[in-house]
Amino acid sequence: MNAPPRAVLEVRSLAKAFGGIHAVNGVSFDVREGEILGLIGPNGSGKSTLFNCILGQLPPSAGEVRIDGRAITGMRPCQLNRLGVGRTFQLLQVFPQLTVRENLILAGQEHQASMWSRLVGRRDAGLGPAADRMIDFFRLAQLAEEKAAALSYGQQKLLDVAMAFMAGPRLVLLDEPAGGVNPTMLTGLRERLREINAKERATFVVIEHNMEFVMSLCTRVLVLAEGRIIAEGTPEEIRGNPAVIEAYLGG
Amino acid sequence: MKKLFLLLLVVVLIAAPFFLKPYGIYLLTLWVVMTIAAIGLNLTLGYAGQISLAQGAFVGIGAYAAALLTTQGWPLWTAFLLAILLSLAIGWLLGYPALRVQHHYLAFVTLSFATLVYLMLRNEEWLTKGVYGVSNIPRPTLLGWSTKGPVQFYFFCLGVLALVSAATWWLVRSPWGRAFNALRENAMRADSLGVDTRRYTLMAFAFGSAIGGIAGVLYAPMVQFIEPTAFNLNLSLNLLLMVMVGGSGYFLGPFLGAAVSVLLPEWMRFGSEGLYLIFYAIAVMVLMAFCPSGLLGLAERARRKFG
Repeated sequence: MNAPPRAVLEVRSLAKAFGGIHAVNGVSFDVREGEILGLIGPNGSGKSTLFNCILGQLPPSAGEVRIDGRAITGMRPCQLNRLGVGRTFQLLQVFPQLTVRENLILAGQEHQASMWSRLVGRRDAGLGPAADRMIDFFRLAQLAEEKAAALSYGQQKLLDVAMAFMAGPRLVLLDEPAGGVNPTMLTGLRERLREINAKERATFVVIEHNMEFVMSLCTRVLVLAEGRIIAEGTPEEIRGNPAVIEAYLGG
Repeated sequence: MKKLFLLLLVVVLIAAPFFLKPYGIYLLTLWVVMTIAAIGLNLTLGYAGQISLAQGAFVGIGAYAAALLTTQGWPLWTAFLLAILLSLAIGWLLGYPALRVQHHYLAFVTLSFATLVYLMLRNEEWLTKGVYGVSNIPRPTLLGWSTKGPVQFYFFCLGVLALVSAATWWLVRSPWGRAFNALRENAMRADSLGVDTRRYTLMAFAFGSAIGGIAGVLYAPMVQFIEPTAFNLNLSLNLLLMVMVGGSGYFLGPFLGAAVSVLLPEWMRFGSEGLYLIFYAIAVMVLMAFCPSGLLGLAERARRKFG
């Protein structure tokens, strides 16, 4: 029998309070290598705050976060990123004045060589071919030289996700990747994510409101309500869980 | 088209002093020096998005370094070295507030710094000779070639401008330029992609300030007499205006902005200076209200519409 996959991300008793409001209230869970973990919950249940605490964007009030067994609490986002942790934000975050290709090169360049050698080295930091592969992979080939601002919302969303993968991260946290994306593109996005997951053994944590997207993509789902985890299981288990239905409909 | 225009510009800049009187050559030299200072601010503000109201102070630091060293018999290149090192270090330190505050708060912090430098230049008489200023600043001799004459000194400055332009062009097209862009457009996202936004912010301040220092080193032998008021807040505001009017974040913005600020007042001297200032102020207000990206932004908009 194989040993169970080890935890890439361990979250222990993580808490974040804003004044008297406990946005995240003692959350603990593991994310195992290669899995796609869904994180769902009603609005205001603390999903994004949890992401921001894990990723160093917000200092947590208490608790600990480990990546590959290494404590990362207090690390800056750029340091975490260089440890192989990628992310997207709830709101679209691409660089509108850079072209699609430039956006992708930027997303990988800080992992290349040292800061000083990037000043005198090649303009594309040697990432041109990798960026082109990513552009093809996300079906953005006709738009490579367009400024990101000229893309449709759905295309920008794809670019946003593509950027998170440029540096070949081991763990990617996606905050509502399906939000505002039309159904056709959504199918494409799901296929891309599955492909990366299978080929690169990349591990994902996905916050999502689109239940169909979560249930068809994720291997395991956590349900958050009022800053706590109220349920955990496979998509099928979660679908029939009374506590979850209560949190969504009863609240 | 763009290349042809640039070539023409270079030809005009090389030929111009032979057709101008000394005062015209002086103005052209002043334009070159102000363009260099504005290129520095454009790096900090236009590319990296960090507002600074202290660029004039760095011109002052460079000018005093040149004035004090060369009047003591040191060659001008030592002044370049000192001014660049000083401005790099002080600019780096000035970047720290930018890690905490942004936009108009940062404007106030840098404004205070500019005032501080001005007060130091005025009050620390043992070093700067205070309000009396430093006079008889010599112009350099380079490998036996004296730049005493206005035309020679102009070409010396033009050469420095060419070097600064080339270095800046390289910088903004390198991965650093891309990181500066990202810092300006969305620092939080840049950080999440591994861009060390703290380090790049400090670098943007240090490099931009160092170029300001270089402009100062040329300013001192150009006017040959300097005193503190030349580097007060007015200069910083003027440089900011040059960058904004020319087109912040455009490579050629500072060239155009400095031309508007230095040369236009001379052409418009039909009335009193007060009248010119009224026209200039109204023109800037209209430009900023309708096209915050400056004259080059306006040109780009026109090209997209008609081209």
